[in-house]
Amino acid sequence: MRFLAVIKPRLHIFSIISIIASLLIILPLLQIVFGLFTPASDAWIHIRTHLLRGYLFNTMILIIAVAILSTSIGLFTAFVVTRFEFKGRQLLSWTLILPLAIPSYIAAYIYVDMMSYTGTFSRFFRAIFNAEHGINIMNMPGAILLFSLTLYPYVYMFSKSALEKQSASYEENARLLGAYKFRIFWRVILPLLRPALVAGTLLVVLETLNDYGVVEYLNIRVFSFAIFDAWFRLGDTAAAIRLSGVLMLVVFVIIFIERVLRGKKRYYMHVKNRPIKRVSLRGFRRVVYPGVLLLILSFGFLFPVLQLLYYARLTFFDVMNMAFVYLVINSVSIALMATLIIVFLAVMLANFGRKHDHILKRGLLKITNLGYAIPGAVIAIAVMLFFIDIDHRLYPIYRFFNPETRRLILTSSLLMLLFAYVLRFMAIGFNAIEAAYDKIGMKFTEASYSLKQTKLKTLLKVDVPLIQGGLVTAFIIVFIDVIKELPLTLILRPTNYDTLASSVYRYAREEMIQESAVPSLVIIVIASILIYWLTHRKKKVVSKDVRTN
Amino acid sequence: MRTMILALFFMTLLTLSACTLGVDNDQDSLTIYSERHYDSDQVLFDLFEDTYGIKVNVISGNADPLINRLENEGEDTQADVLLIADAGRLGRAKTMGLLQAVESDVLNTQIPAAYRDLEGYWYGLTKRARVLVYHPERVDERELSSYEALGEEPWASRVVTRTSTNIYNRSLMASMIEIMGYDAAKDFAFSLVQNFARTPTGNDRDQAKYVVEGGADVAIMNTYYIGRMMNSADPFEREVAETVKVFFPNQKTTGTHVNVSAAGVTKHAHNVSNAILFLEFLSSEVAQESFANANYEYPVNEAVAPHELLQSWGDFKAQDIHLTVLGKHAYDAAILMDEVGWE
Repeated sequence: MRFLAVIKPRLHIFSIISIIASLLIILPLLQIVFGLFTPASDAWIHIRTHLLRGYLFNTMILIIAVAILSTSIGLFTAFVVTRFEFKGRQLLSWTLILPLAIPSYIAAYIYVDMMSYTGTFSRFFRAIFNAEHGINIMNMPGAILLFSLTLYPYVYMFSKSALEKQSASYEENARLLGAYKFRIFWRVILPLLRPALVAGTLLVVLETLNDYGVVEYLNIRVFSFAIFDAWFRLGDTAAAIRLSGVLMLVVFVIIFIERVLRGKKRYYMHVKNRPIKRVSLRGFRRVVYPGVLLLILSFGFLFPVLQLLYYARLTFFDVMNMAFVYLVINSVSIALMATLIIVFLAVMLANFGRKHDHILKRGLLKITNLGYAIPGAVIAIAVMLFFIDIDHRLYPIYRFFNPETRRLILTSSLLMLLFAYVLRFMAIGFNAIEAAYDKIGMKFTEASYSLKQTKLKTLLKVDVPLIQGGLVTAFIIVFIDVIKELPLTLILRPTNYDTLASSVYRYAREEMIQESAVPSLVIIVIASILIYWLTHRKKKVVSKDVRTN
Repeated sequence: MRTMILALFFMTLLTLSACTLGVDNDQDSLTIYSERHYDSDQVLFDLFEDTYGIKVNVISGNADPLINRLENEGEDTQADVLLIADAGRLGRAKTMGLLQAVESDVLNTQIPAAYRDLEGYWYGLTKRARVLVYHPERVDERELSSYEALGEEPWASRVVTRTSTNIYNRSLMASMIEIMGYDAAKDFAFSLVQNFARTPTGNDRDQAKYVVEGGADVAIMNTYYIGRMMNSADPFEREVAETVKVFFPNQKTTGTHVNVSAAGVTKHAHNVSNAILFLEFLSSEVAQESFANANYEYPVNEAVAPHELLQSWGDFKAQDIHLTVLGKHAYDAAILMDEVGWE
């Protein structure tokens, strides 16, 4: 690797890997851009006259409401957990991430089931309150609640880690200067929290824009619904690609807003990191605060899981067999591979982009984040066309090795699915790692460079230990996202290759919610264990740091 | 450096797994793109494998992505058979040139002409009827007559069904366009939407539940969901299925809407003879018994009796149209439903 460092200052390991990665990501997406310039079809004209306005309106309502609600929940829970001392705080502080272990589509299936006439909640309400009708959650408010309950942990995780790192000095100084609690929160804590808050909310919004499972099931007519609708129902891929183009535009606006909100200023922690002492809760707050947290956790995690456990007990022996074990192995191994590749590339890209000194560079980085804004199915079309094209180009080489070969070698391999995962989830890993870099600033890295250390050595010896928290966060959320991922997996998986998510979908689509419980639970358990293990491992690292200080 | 080594290690692992996966298209294998996801189907595929020594590979997924994939893969596709739960979509695959016509006397005797493509591009395997499901305490059977009647005054705010994106509703409308003509079908759809008890939402089972709950009196849904609910793992779903009653509409007029699960041999199939053998097997008496009955569908092979539950509902008259028209009118049906505000 040493020779790379010698060639040229601009051509180092980060830039080379970053440029290759972004080119690979850009090429399939060009399919979508070219699609925008095809002549308007009848289906597009139909969509534009009858449907487009509704799609835009619903999408705006949904993302704004979900952003506000999930940010409020995430910020409130993170604040209570980091600033107050109460019984069960430690347990809640990591279990509050658990709703992230439940894919939104599984939450939708199981909540609709629980709220339906035969469901647990409806029967409970009928028995207690003698209510005639169940609560209908198959509408916009229902979707907003479902998304917020399953996605708020993104905001929670980012805010909590930022709040824990906030030094007590700021608040103490503010208090010494006579500021009240409320004012301290608005003028000191919140501004310092802004980058974390905005990053978390951005993930929530993008995740909401990408979902298809929930909006399909609840019949909420938003953009991802529209794209699939144009593609499936009207059979018009060109119109679907046009709609994707419009959605990409919306996402550009959102990312622009994020950049503005995050501000030009970088909020470095210049003061010595002295953790804030948590205040013991007194009086009614001692019951109410933990009570509210428990309620959030119950709706986000405990209730759906209990219902799934009940169904799993009913259907366990119908579902369990050898093939099921392979499902688990498949899901875990592919998620692990995809996650490691993503985290690796994200570190490269984040290093490449740490100094925003060139407009081209910034453009490249934005493009690598684009995959997260495009619905899985559209990425699937783009990636498939791209791989077929590559296979056709490589055909002479294939034939050189094996004259009898088929043409589509890569297209029928796991590589295509992995590639699509990387394209799709790059942004999550990148944002987590970039936020970690933002927090440490350039000081240490520049010091290392000025001591004539190579980029790679600096990365491994200086940066990686400093951003370890960010790496761990990136790993958790990317892994969980991959194991939950549905549309890409369905469309791009090789023959005879099934995963847990695809099997949940299979059952749910056949309206066999009870049978989907076992694979759903396995996804949830794997993700939960991971959350547990990583949150607890993280603590050890922190305490070690404190000791060495 | 450790990161790099790890990364390299996983890259190698990945390339290796990429090489080992995939399917060999040798003489003794058959690859199926299937929209059906029933465990009972897999049992049949295994039986086929054991009987004929032909390995069956399955890729399951939603219908349109599978068709799209077939189109993109072109002559390189591994698929030999396309199996879809809607005749309209197979009609589309045929128009797109993704299927090939096959001739088989066995298939022609086992499958009635109404349920297969006349040129042999696809063959129906199981039938399902789209019926009215009602609450016997609030609806007298004599009040029910036809789909069209549900758009009339007495049924205001009493009817419930799924969204217009649902293929079953779309194919129902496509059949109405064929029977009544576009304008009359649009009038019917408009009047039906006015009588909806709620904005369409949920799946077929949810419609039956809403009827039992008291939100609506009549649901338009497929027959096999009632059968499946009667055997649900959830005791409360069983209760719902036992409460409601099934009515076959349009018996005195044009007949009840019927759709099929059907399969066709792909244009670039590697093993055409295996594919034909597979279709012959699926429509044979041995296979139809479980292929249709495990899922409470009607077998296409008339030599096989339907499930007892289906027999208990009695015989019915099906729409006298050829199912190829479902594909022909699918697009118009989608547009029509948007225009009348069927969400």
